[in-house]
Amino acid sequence: MDEQARAILQRVIRKIPNKKLQTALRAWDHLSSEQLESLDYAQPKWLFLENLISRCEENRLSLKDVTKLEMAYYIDNPSKGTWHAYQLFQAEGDAVSVNFTQFREQLKAHLKDVVRHVSVRTKKLEDGAVWIRIAWGDNFSKPNHLKPTYVVHYLQTSYVFVLNLMSKHKPFLYQALLLSTRHVSIKEAQLSSRSLTAMRDLLMRQYQQVFPTNQERTLKERNAPPSHPSIEKEHAECAERRHQMACEAFGDGVLPKLETAVYKLETKYRGNSNNTLNDKDELFRGVVMFSSSNLLESFRHCVSAGMAEGPVTPLLSSITQKGRNSFVITDKVPGAASQTPAHKA
Amino acid sequence: MLEKAGTAGQEKQKQDHLKELHAAILTLRAKRERLFAETAALKDLKDKLDQGLPLEEEETDDFMQLEQFLLKSRLMQLKDLQTVYHLIGGYNLIESKQGKSVCVSFRTAFEGMYLETYNLEMDLRRTVQISRHNIPPCVPLERLAKEHLQADFKAFLEILSLHLNALAGRKQQVLLIKELIGTVEIIERNQLCNFLVFMCKIQEETEAAVLCTLEYGDLTQCLPTRVTIESENKTLAESPQWKKNQVLLMESPVHSALLTMRKVGSIV
Repeated sequence: MDEQARAILQRVIRKIPNKKLQTALRAWDHLSSEQLESLDYAQPKWLFLENLISRCEENRLSLKDVTKLEMAYYIDNPSKGTWHAYQLFQAEGDAVSVNFTQFREQLKAHLKDVVRHVSVRTKKLEDGAVWIRIAWGDNFSKPNHLKPTYVVHYLQTSYVFVLNLMSKHKPFLYQALLLSTRHVSIKEAQLSSRSLTAMRDLLMRQYQQVFPTNQERTLKERNAPPSHPSIEKEHAECAERRHQMACEAFGDGVLPKLETAVYKLETKYRGNSNNTLNDKDELFRGVVMFSSSNLLESFRHCVSAGMAEGPVTPLLSSITQKGRNSFVITDKVPGAASQTPAHKA
Repeated sequence: MLEKAGTAGQEKQKQDHLKELHAAILTLRAKRERLFAETAALKDLKDKLDQGLPLEEEETDDFMQLEQFLLKSRLMQLKDLQTVYHLIGGYNLIESKQGKSVCVSFRTAFEGMYLETYNLEMDLRRTVQISRHNIPPCVPLERLAKEHLQADFKAFLEILSLHLNALAGRKQQVLLIKELIGTVEIIERNQLCNFLVFMCKIQEETEAAVLCTLEYGDLTQCLPTRVTIESENKTLAESPQWKKNQVLLMESPVHSALLTMRKVGSIV
């Protein structure tokens, strides 16, 4: 095993917790059961690693085999690193009939066309997700497997999720994706998070959305605090309305676990005091960032508890409705394009 | 002095307000008593009708009038419903946000069984625009909206409903294959369920198998537009029996075709 293979193996083994090592190695299926039995999983990692490397060398395992293990690790732990979402636009007529084999062949061919040395590995999962691992080289050097880019794409949808992509490789990836998925353009979706599952659920709407219905559905509030029955009676209708509003804006049940939302302000300062900031024609630039262990859940609670006034401002509900968590707010100038309506200070 | 006059004024305001509230309470109480009496009378009437007891004369008059009113209002309701359904083509449309947006529900069904319901909320303020939905991302919603939404609202709803129903139908067929015919192995499928590859065994012991590829070119249909049969045993693939099976797969839903093929002995 060469230097790179050893380095990658070391990195992956270090990241996997001791309890899961055995299952991970068994799933890898590159070591015999005797070899697996012979390893002591309670050893300190550095010692364990040395024994593992000697077993791998017994089997003459190569870089390719080790990258398989790394890929399996990322597939099992989609909450490592910061993922960014991209969206494909303008599907050509035959975009819906692209199947996995075609996609894979085209992607590999196009990447190899533009980057002389590149290593591409793909895997299709049960739920339809296609995982792609790309190790980039250039015209003179071999692919660098220590800094791979991971791409996840759901065929026949327009969403692509990317981890660890350097800007110099962006144009190559863009072009290869457009050609292999038969779309015309690709844009950043202004959504990034550590949790791939949260982003996927948000964009592909795999959470329980609430739509207005004409059925008298009483959304029962879970874990409501105890209170006096008369107060409850008076407030029941109000509370139910607020709860319905909150769920319509953010969803019902378990929500995708987003952690941050960022609003970049490019608006003029509008205060009602007489200070000098008011008269400036320049933009008052600022950044507002919300962070939470479960941002959407927090917003929903704020609205249903009455802490945030309803109707829910589009600044917040755009997170779920448009599927993004990065916004630029500009003043609404007639004739000019703006991202979201200006919020009066 | 002025302050005292001020507070006296405030005191008087408070007293007046209090008097108003008291009066309001009395009126509301009276209204409540009246409503209680009316509902009690109606309830009596209903109980008597339910039990089939004979009615007294004044009660019969009340009853006839009540029935007339009820029938009239029901008729008006039905007529309104009819107009609405005519306008929206039979889809379940709900107004929301005080008329600024409209929410449509699409029900899907296949072979008499109801499947998923999808919703679409549309903003009506300037032009009709889709504000949010829970339609699966593999359905080409943007393209359909671009082609039909502004030109013909009903046509848009119709074609979207066709797409959703066909998708639900194709998905259900794959589910039924797994449930009803366990021996067939599905090799490849996708989210839109418009590409399906599966392998059928010919005989129990041997390795002989046939690979069938179904392509659904028309996304509004539940039946394939192309069926390809492949097998290592070339003569088998070319045999008249399998030519018939190919036609069967083109003309009937996959699970029914496979069940028929199993019955006649083409597959196990």
